Amino acid sequence: MKLAPRWAKAFADIVARPGRSLLVILAMTAGLFEMGAMLTKYTILHRELSVTYARTHPASAILVTDAVDDRLVEAVRHLPGIKDAEARPVVAARVRVSPDEWSPAALFVVPDFDRQRLDVFAHDLGAWPPKPGQVLIERSSLSVARALVGDSLTFHARENGDTPLEIAGTVHAAGLAPGWMDHVVIGFVGADSPLAGAAQAQLRIAVSDRPFERRHIREVAGQVAAWLGERGHPVTRITVPEPGRHPHAAQMDTFTYLIGAFGVLSFLLGVMLVATMIHGLLVEQVREIGIMKAIGATTRQVAGIYLAEVALLAAASLVLAIPLGWAVGQGYAKFAASILNAEITDTSVPWWVYALEVAVGLLVPLLVSLVPVGRASRITAREAMSGPSSHPQAAPGFAILARISRPLLWSLRTTLTHRVRLALTVTTLALGGAVFMSAINVGKAYDRAVDRDFATRRYDIAVGFARPQPLAAIAAALATVPGVERAECWPEGTGSLGADGLGAAQLAVVGPDPGSPLLALALAEGRWLRRDDVRAAVINRAVQALDSTLQVGHPIQLLVNGRTVSWPIVGVVQEMSPHLAVYAPPQAVLEATGQSQGLARSVRVATRSRDAAAELAVARDLQRTFERFGIEVTGMQRMLDMRQAILDHLLIIKTILAAAAILVVLVGGLALALTLTLAVIQRTRELGILSAIGAPPRTLAFHVWIESVLIGLVSWAAAVILAIPVSAVLEFVCGQMFFRMSLGFYVSPAAAAIWLGLVVVLATVSSLAPARRAARLTTREALAYE
Amino acid sequence: MMITLRGVTKTFETPAGSFAALRGIDLDIKSGEFVAVVGKSGSGKSTLLNMIAGLDKPSTGIVSVAGAALGDLGHDGLATWRGRNVGVVFQFFQLLPTLTALENVMLPMDFSGAIPASRREARAQELLQRVGVADQAAKLPATLSGGQQQRVAIARALANDPPLLVADEPTGNLDSQTSAEIFALFAELVADGKTLVVVTHERETVSGAGRTLTLADGCVA
Repeated sequence: MKLAPRWAKAFADIVARPGRSLLVILAMTAGLFEMGAMLTKYTILHRELSVTYARTHPASAILVTDAVDDRLVEAVRHLPGIKDAEARPVVAARVRVSPDEWSPAALFVVPDFDRQRLDVFAHDLGAWPPKPGQVLIERSSLSVARALVGDSLTFHARENGDTPLEIAGTVHAAGLAPGWMDHVVIGFVGADSPLAGAAQAQLRIAVSDRPFERRHIREVAGQVAAWLGERGHPVTRITVPEPGRHPHAAQMDTFTYLIGAFGVLSFLLGVMLVATMIHGLLVEQVREIGIMKAIGATTRQVAGIYLAEVALLAAASLVLAIPLGWAVGQGYAKFAASILNAEITDTSVPWWVYALEVAVGLLVPLLVSLVPVGRASRITAREAMSGPSSHPQAAPGFAILARISRPLLWSLRTTLTHRVRLALTVTTLALGGAVFMSAINVGKAYDRAVDRDFATRRYDIAVGFARPQPLAAIAAALATVPGVERAECWPEGTGSLGADGLGAAQLAVVGPDPGSPLLALALAEGRWLRRDDVRAAVINRAVQALDSTLQVGHPIQLLVNGRTVSWPIVGVVQEMSPHLAVYAPPQAVLEATGQSQGLARSVRVATRSRDAAAELAVARDLQRTFERFGIEVTGMQRMLDMRQAILDHLLIIKTILAAAAILVVLVGGLALALTLTLAVIQRTRELGILSAIGAPPRTLAFHVWIESVLIGLVSWAAAVILAIPVSAVLEFVCGQMFFRMSLGFYVSPAAAAIWLGLVVVLATVSSLAPARRAARLTTREALAYE
Repeated sequence: MMITLRGVTKTFETPAGSFAALRGIDLDIKSGEFVAVVGKSGSGKSTLLNMIAGLDKPSTGIVSVAGAALGDLGHDGLATWRGRNVGVVFQFFQLLPTLTALENVMLPMDFSGAIPASRREARAQELLQRVGVADQAAKLPATLSGGQQQRVAIARALANDPPLLVADEPTGNLDSQTSAEIFALFAELVADGKTLVVVTHERETVSGAGRTLTLADGCVA
């Protein structure tokens, strides 16, 4: 069957101008591909992370007690409301990563590697299960240990001294946060390991009903704790992880939000690009519209032809965009999963993603085209056939430009008189620039927030001791370390929220000297501790998020070392760390923890030189010195490591920001190149006239370049303004999602400068082909152009 | 009467001010008449033709063509009316460059729907045969000579078998021999009963016209 001529025209127009059609298809593909890639990423990651996490059979609660044997575990499994239970003691240790350098380690003692029931991990490489002198390392923490399978690692656990263990293989524990991100070595040993004796007894339970209801889990855990207590096993702590949420769910939330936000912005960019292209196409078709009108075509029939043309181009873009979006999306999903220590086993995408891509890919270009097609189709035959329908509007303010050189004035006039084209191009580029700058702004805002947070802790190293040490002994040791500028010992311990201690979360209770220069946390509400405070507490935002009644003026009840304390909350501080912390006067903490005044379990040290190398040298010196003084060190935390750990958590967020920025540069460059090409095509006759009256090819090319740069500069100014609200919203939401605090509004001057440079480069690169076309046009060709 | 104009004026607003292209034209053209409109450049010939073909509306006055008062029709109404009642031939042929000669001829039938879809291709072939370019049916306009393009344009103008043909400088872009052939073709069409209004500034080429209308400064001289 032969196609009706009007539909044949729609098809023939596309085929007759392959270059231009390809540019339009690319413009449509750019927006759609980004949307497809974002949706593919999101759906694969969302499903696979949930599935991966669910497969680990995550424990609903973890109870810490004195000892758990098989008989006890079996009995707990039969308690009402319990679906399953497993003992999984944990050894808190350190591992030597270089001669004088240690990293924190957590070794899980597994009774039976082949019969795991909760928080299941899987064999990855090497031996399974480990022999008594061996350890299996979680694959994401091998880099922290700076070791390979077959190497020997020295672990140091309280009471056990140094214990060498051979790395027999690796495992994949998808339910745990990646070790490299938390800067901790995660290992698994058997019950016959020499380190098993140093483990803290932990009982993991899974509830049978309402597994995602935290309150219910707490109740059941409380009942189990009471049951254990009645049988002589007091529970000192209950931890209830957020039900059904991966440890890095907050990262995922922020990541998803950014994927969505930048996906929408990128899609808008693509839509603007399509609008620009359609406008350009229709400007070229005015004369043909006039002919069709003259031979009897109605507005609707003409519009139908061009909408069919748009639909055909959109369909062609789908053929490119869908597989490209899938390929990039699933590749990125795998990358993101590897960062989060998850595995993608199924890269399939739900049918609705493709359906949505097809619907959006067809409908959006058609919707975007409705206005320009409608306007072009309404033009009368006489208007269309008598040349350009409207005289270019006079550009304002030329009087003040009188002193500008003639070619520049001409370029300015050309740029400003084609206002619709200018508006579309500037909007497209400005949106691109705003996305680019916002991506950098959010990244910088994160860095600044981290810097700000760490500036509130003016110590560089925190050292933990195996046993309480006399203050005098600590001071004597520190006095021999030349790199130490100042050191303070603060009483501290752990507690649980609520009078019964079953508040499900473990909190650090710290008693800093209220006037200490080593701590100046940022207050969100109320005030900091004062020297005359007897009973007072300052909590951080993470604690406040547990219970909405924890407000300034209200009391906080804690179970510390078996004692219930109640302190009035006098302030709330902002801390980036997700760790729960309550700050109280030193004497109050000493009383609550039952510690002696003259002893300390830790010391915080400020070094003289605050660079990384000097800090590391002091840390090594401290390690050797305390050993020499007979003080057993169980933990040595450098603030730079902590800072790096937080920055590592932001890695996945930053990759999204970088990907968004790169895509925008590509799409923005494409937009400018397309617009300029069309501009040159539309002005072929004008360029021919200039050539006929003596303008050399170089002048024509220069004119095209200047116009391109002018468009770029106008768009840059618009982008800088647009980036302010976009960045503000993204920075606020990202901060709240990730850190429960605002990142603080920040607009990077560097971002604006980089975009300015990029715009000029893009404008230059984009104008190369059109400028060459302009320069190569013969006068005869140009004047004959219809 | 095929065409009746009464007191037709047309004024264009330009950046340089108002310009009166037609000033109080009264005109009657009978059915089957061959009228040549001549005059200098800017005399209003093409504007008059646009009024008759319904391509433009007068500023004042009445235009009645083929029984329709064109002033009562909107733009789309005019397009539909034009599709069935007027065939337009242009100086620069104005064929759609991406359609073949055959498709160009079929296009007005497609728009008007006056010819059943099943008969359109055959009719287009017949028309191309009639104007002497049947062998060029599958070619794109750019591959045809000027004379061939104008013949295709005339076939297109005849697509819906309109009673009225208007031609604006139809031979202005052709050599003298081809021009003569085109006017011979026009004479045949008039002989078949078509009404023909041709705008031209070549007085010698309109010898076949039944009447010559001379315009000067927007008025019938």
